[in-house]
Amino acid sequence: MSELALFLLRIGLVAVLWIFVFSIISVIRSDLFGQKVAGKAAASNATQVVSQAHLPNPPTGPVRVLQESNSPSSKTATRLVIIAGENAGRELPLDGRELHIGRAVNSDLVITDEYASTQHAKLVLINDEWLVQDLNSTNGTFLGGVRVGIPAVVKLNTPVKVGKTVFELRA
Amino acid sequence: MSNNVTERISKIVRVVPRNRNTELVLLLFAIGINALEVVQVQLSTMQKVNGDFWFYWGGLAGAAMLLHLVLRLRAPLADPMILPIATTLNGLGIAEIYRLDIAAIANHQTELFGEKQVIWTLVALLLAGIVVMFIPSHLVLRRYVFIAGAIGVGLLLAPMLPFIGKTINGASLWLSIGGLTFQPGELAKISLTIFFAGYLVQRRDSLAMTGRTVLGIQIPKARELGPILAIWVVSLLVLVVQHDLGTSLLFFGLFLVMIYTATGRAIYTVVGLGMFLTGALVASRAISYVSKRFDAWLNPFDDAHYNAIGGSYQLVQGLFGFAHGGLLGTGLGGGVPQLVPLAESDFIVASLAEELGLAGIFVIFALYILLVARGLRIGFNHNDDFSKLLATGLSFVIALQVFIVIGGVTRLVPLTGLTTPLLAAGGSSLVANWIIVGLLLRISDTNRKEAE
Repeated sequence: MSELALFLLRIGLVAVLWIFVFSIISVIRSDLFGQKVAGKAAASNATQVVSQAHLPNPPTGPVRVLQESNSPSSKTATRLVIIAGENAGRELPLDGRELHIGRAVNSDLVITDEYASTQHAKLVLINDEWLVQDLNSTNGTFLGGVRVGIPAVVKLNTPVKVGKTVFELRA
Repeated sequence: MSNNVTERISKIVRVVPRNRNTELVLLLFAIGINALEVVQVQLSTMQKVNGDFWFYWGGLAGAAMLLHLVLRLRAPLADPMILPIATTLNGLGIAEIYRLDIAAIANHQTELFGEKQVIWTLVALLLAGIVVMFIPSHLVLRRYVFIAGAIGVGLLLAPMLPFIGKTINGASLWLSIGGLTFQPGELAKISLTIFFAGYLVQRRDSLAMTGRTVLGIQIPKARELGPILAIWVVSLLVLVVQHDLGTSLLFFGLFLVMIYTATGRAIYTVVGLGMFLTGALVASRAISYVSKRFDAWLNPFDDAHYNAIGGSYQLVQGLFGFAHGGLLGTGLGGGVPQLVPLAESDFIVASLAEELGLAGIFVIFALYILLVARGLRIGFNHNDDFSKLLATGLSFVIALQVFIVIGGVTRLVPLTGLTTPLLAAGGSSLVANWIIVGLLLRISDTNRKEAE
């Protein structure tokens, strides 16, 4: 084996190793840009199907029709008003979708005090009534001062306490 | 319910698993590089290519292709880059160990590592394949969190057992059963990572949010520091009884990384590092072997340390190797890496640096960075905390090993006896690291299924 061939082999190996590294980097790059579109499309599909499957009552149709009746239930609630805690005074519109409450950043209502759990509670609209369900939180969810065990109906203007935050549903 | 929905969607959208084809291309590239390495070793040491080529190249190449097929069948959406990167690193290791064997034969030494390394590679890839095939989802592991913890501590402390525990070069890390030696600590990394992930998911709320605020820093409650103290004691026990600074640093570092990932509170890292440094400083004064390591690290070129038994001779020879390699290296088979003691295991990075040069060693660093980055990315893509923590922990097992070993060889930190993942000679280490690769592949498959 001539010296020149060995030299070329030696340089060649290092060069090929670098080409390998850069081909991996280029795959990562195309993965990032190529997949974003496909991923988003699939994700939006998924949320639509899932939310339709999960929601007992889509916000259109029956809800509007029944809204005129005079029952004391909470179906007429259109907003969630925070009355105590860090975000006191803020409001959230209610559109019939379920609402997650907790410290997790993807919650609909993010509560950042140390007495709230990551997935603390959720509000669900079932049979035209808003129910609050405690998601096994450490410090509990209180509806009108009573700790919520099984999911309970939230009447209008009744304080719900999660951690240090208190909110009410209002028409 | 939601599973059915996602299944339906993936049928409708009919996502083509582009991943596996990408992986095949990269894997063929990696296998080609491995062939080039073995050929170069043979040409520069024997001036010809002989039949051994098939053994040293074909073993890994065939096993990696088989693992690729397993992935096509059982984990079609797994990350496409992990397997090629791991194969490249393993192949580089085999080529260098084979090259050191040739030098050893020329020196009439009888202790050879190449054949064992190839056979262990096959075993390791088989186990990685089993992980991918028979663990349907990594979430299953969550059921066995405390069992994993018990197994992990058991494995870690097993070498202290009488009769089967074995001490080699001053460190009591081995189990010896019927002539076969094994380092149980290597497998302990995996089960302890599973344990930490499961445990921290349960405790993260109280770890992250409780405590009083003093001068703008939230001080954790005393009882939350209990587990950190326990891990600290175990890792110091490993340091004092088993004489292994590296393993003890690895476990404690892993725990700190995971607790930081789980809680996002720097205070745990600061307190933990402080505790470890205090422990290590006290140990360096009190235990002779640690203080020797420290002296060899700080003054390696001092004659007293250079000539001492267990002194800085090995470290300095390794540094000479780096220097001899220069920018482009001597080429595989062109240098004299066999002059460094343990050139095939602890100092394989120095051997490779000598023969591939700065340009080559940076490829190795880049491959490790990419491997760890993929692992972190896999964790990041998951929605649940257990998967996030598990993937982060497993990646950091690799990252910390690389840092501790290569840092030691290049004199950034005191030299400790860990193995370079996937490169160094040693069955236990290969098996453990390939199982980590298998787990990362499994986690990434589940995760892409969720996303699509």
